Amino acid sequence: MPLPETLSILLIVAVIAALMAGYPVALTLAGVSLALAAIGHALGAMNFSILGALPQRIFGVMTNDVLLAIPLFIFMGVMLEQSRIAETLLERMGRLFGSLRGGLGYSVVLVGALLAASTGIVGATAVTMGLIMLPAMLRHGYDPRLAAGTVAASATLAQIIPPSTVLVVLGDQLNNSYQAAQLAEGKFAPNVISVSDLFAGAILPGLLLVGLYLAYLIAVAWLRPASCPAVTTDGPPAGGILEALLAPILLIAAVLGSILYGVATPTEAASVGAVGAMLLAWRKAPLGALLRPVAEKTTQITSMIFLILIGATLFSLVFRALGGDDLVQRALTNLPGGVDGALLAVMLAIFLLGFVMDAFEIVFVVVPIVAPALLKMPGVDPVWLGIMMAVNLQTSYMHPPLGPTLFYLRGVAPPEITTRHIYVGIIPFVAIQLFALLVLWFVPGLATALPHAFYGR
Amino acid sequence: MCHHRRMDEFAGQIDRLTRAIGRAAAWLVLAVVLLQFALVVARYVLGFGSIWLTETVIYAHASLFMLAAAWTLQAGGHVRVDVFYAEAAPRTRALVDLVGALMLLLPFTLVLFWLSVPFAARSWAVLERSQETSGLPFVYLLKTVIPVFAVLMALQGVAQAIRAVRRLQGRGDAAS
Repeated sequence: MPLPETLSILLIVAVIAALMAGYPVALTLAGVSLALAAIGHALGAMNFSILGALPQRIFGVMTNDVLLAIPLFIFMGVMLEQSRIAETLLERMGRLFGSLRGGLGYSVVLVGALLAASTGIVGATAVTMGLIMLPAMLRHGYDPRLAAGTVAASATLAQIIPPSTVLVVLGDQLNNSYQAAQLAEGKFAPNVISVSDLFAGAILPGLLLVGLYLAYLIAVAWLRPASCPAVTTDGPPAGGILEALLAPILLIAAVLGSILYGVATPTEAASVGAVGAMLLAWRKAPLGALLRPVAEKTTQITSMIFLILIGATLFSLVFRALGGDDLVQRALTNLPGGVDGALLAVMLAIFLLGFVMDAFEIVFVVVPIVAPALLKMPGVDPVWLGIMMAVNLQTSYMHPPLGPTLFYLRGVAPPEITTRHIYVGIIPFVAIQLFALLVLWFVPGLATALPHAFYGR
Repeated sequence: MCHHRRMDEFAGQIDRLTRAIGRAAAWLVLAVVLLQFALVVARYVLGFGSIWLTETVIYAHASLFMLAAAWTLQAGGHVRVDVFYAEAAPRTRALVDLVGALMLLLPFTLVLFWLSVPFAARSWAVLERSQETSGLPFVYLLKTVIPVFAVLMALQGVAQAIRAVRRLQGRGDAAS
């Protein structure tokens, strides 16, 4: 193997090894890539001057108007979390279904889906649901493993059900790759894939997951009734459930409705959602006291995501300069099994990377490397590929040791719930997510039918 | 040990600087939300668009995460792979922070500074304006945000390294 390509492999190995030490991911990506670029330059494998493109790339990140949707969606989610709108919904939903066997579990899944569709932030959903529902479920005799698994899985729905920040970055990265793939094939009026396409494509797979989680809970309630007993309610049965539902439903209608009908861009819709969340919060608490904490939290989360993107930009620059992208493309096209073999390899790689990296890191690092090669292959629909990746990435939120959901959950879980309970509890849900991935593989229409219907793609 | 006290004070000053800038930048979130919403109202209700306002939102968004990144580092907001880090002994963690700051953060931010100063200077030389005729004429200011980001991050890296050294010495405050 020629020296530059050897160095590109060394780059990947070195990044993963360095990440394990625990220094912030974004800076590890940047620092290790820089070191490899220096080594490559010294050995004559690449020219350090290629890094001169870095300021322009960073400027491109700063002025990217697709990614502008990110702080807006985060603001909306943090506002809903801090104003306790989500809490009220959860409590009332719990009272509505609590008298059923497994009922608290159903409410967690349903509220998870509603919050997912109105906020799109896994962390906020996990914390809110973990704080309120875990103690309630334990108090009423739920198996701690089932309780932890249900809350974790329902919180990760925020990542797939639109609007979702992961889908925003995935859409942006996939479109870049799609353009590159088409240009390489000599197509001068290339098609585009937008964040809206991914939003539309993610709806049915998201609902499929909600359905599968509910089916699993129903099966558990039937087979092991002791693990999720019915709750004897003392308060008013369903007091104000409609009122509590109003907030998320209004937001979902405003945000998703305007995007799907092609009226607004995701960024525009996100700003409507953000202002809507502010108005809803205003009804519950004095807005003045909320603004600073919400603005600061939103800022830090946004900074975190964009710093990873900046680190990953330097990584891809060096990886490409060393010819790593050609190497990956050759490896993918020469795999046995053709397109299926290549897809399987990429999906497996994403799943495994999920053990050490989170969804944003994988999207920023892996998609630019593998997607151009995959999208050149016959029969690979970009929306379908994006949704497959998104469902797969969900598992990265869940599996130990690094799933952020587990981390959030461990932070807020009552002491009776051990880390072991959480790790064991999520196993059936990770299995369900992989099953959904399999369904999606063989029924691509689940992902492509809605974008086709809405946008005539 | 007055030498140590001076180091602690220097780290504290860096913290105060990046925190003040980060917390001020956080208010840009509100500008992004409200101005983007104003654009939506202008476009769908009043039927006009404003390139000038659109670019203002982009400027606010870009400055927001670039200027708040160092403060986010200080507050521990940048994700780490914490398989080992979370369970590691305080000294091991201090060592990771020290080596990371010196070998990863500082080289990156210094190289970025070295690359982005001429990048911004070229823009200043022509007082570069938006490519749109009615856009903002301040592209050079936006490009200057990159070297400023590099400096703030490098300073925060120095503070992080000082804190790590002090923890390794087993003295000073434990906070990082």
